[in-house]
Amino acid sequence: MSASDDQADVERVLAGNISAFEGIVQRWQSPLVNLAYRFCHDRGRAEDMAQEAFLRAYRGLGQWRKDAVFSTWLFALATNLYRSELHRIPARTVSLEDIAEPPDARASDGGLEDHDRDLAVRRAVGTLPPKYREALILFYFHDMDVTTAARSLGLPEGTIKARLFRGREILRNKLPQFLAVPRLKEA
Amino acid sequence: MRHLSEHDDAEINRILSREDEILPSSGFAVSVMDAVRREAAAPPPIPFPWKRALPGLVVGVLVLAVVLVGGVVAFTQLDKATAPQLSMSSPPAMSTIFSGGIESAAIWTVLALLVAFVSVKLSMHLTSSRV
Repeated sequence: MSASDDQADVERVLAGNISAFEGIVQRWQSPLVNLAYRFCHDRGRAEDMAQEAFLRAYRGLGQWRKDAVFSTWLFALATNLYRSELHRIPARTVSLEDIAEPPDARASDGGLEDHDRDLAVRRAVGTLPPKYREALILFYFHDMDVTTAARSLGLPEGTIKARLFRGREILRNKLPQFLAVPRLKEA
Repeated sequence: MRHLSEHDDAEINRILSREDEILPSSGFAVSVMDAVRREAAAPPPIPFPWKRALPGLVVGVLVLAVVLVGGVVAFTQLDKATAPQLSMSSPPAMSTIFSGGIESAAIWTVLALLVAFVSVKLSMHLTSSRV
């Protein structure tokens, strides 16, 4: 994905060529839908939220200041929208207590499958308080890049680091049986 | 409370950084572009009709000021008139108003309803004439 392609398309759209916006949609549809999916874990809702993000981007194209790359602006806009949407209608999540219960007795003996453990940890992220959940989602979505996550959330890097630390701490404390068991495959 | 371990951090990093990716449905981009074209074709939002509203707003502010001044004057006059009957338990003007009975309450209620009715009719008239 090229930043110059984005800039060229934005300029064409602002000049009145609406079809040029399709280039932006094609380039960014997958990241925006996937980011939305990490927030809500509902495919249909993720597409609805991503569509709304594109619409808002279209309406606000003139407000993009070119001191930041287009993708940074787009992700910040989308993140802001997704946070508001999730605040308005929260995603369906199971309680942390339910996740913390091993699915069966065999699992508590250490026989838990990796898949179950991964699923439980991902679900547990959804039960965290929003500020920790958002920091974790953005950090891992942006390939563990604190700077980009901070820009997307409009927060200082130090705040993101603190929230990541606290978010992980909550996960570790709430899911001891999932995280304490070393993976045999790695041994 | 458990001691936190680097192993746990590595596990969390491993699990959360390889979350499943989903592909947007095939019609997603088309659907977005349809919405964008609808947005572009829609007429711009109607600006607030300040020219039409300004006289009404001015009259409203003036009426409010007159009512407030009149209320304060009436309040102070009632206060003076009932000064000899003061009691420690309740403020004199308040007791006069409350003891004024149903008549004054009815007048204020009718006045409030009238103002509400006029403002609703006026706003409906303004919106219908605009459309």
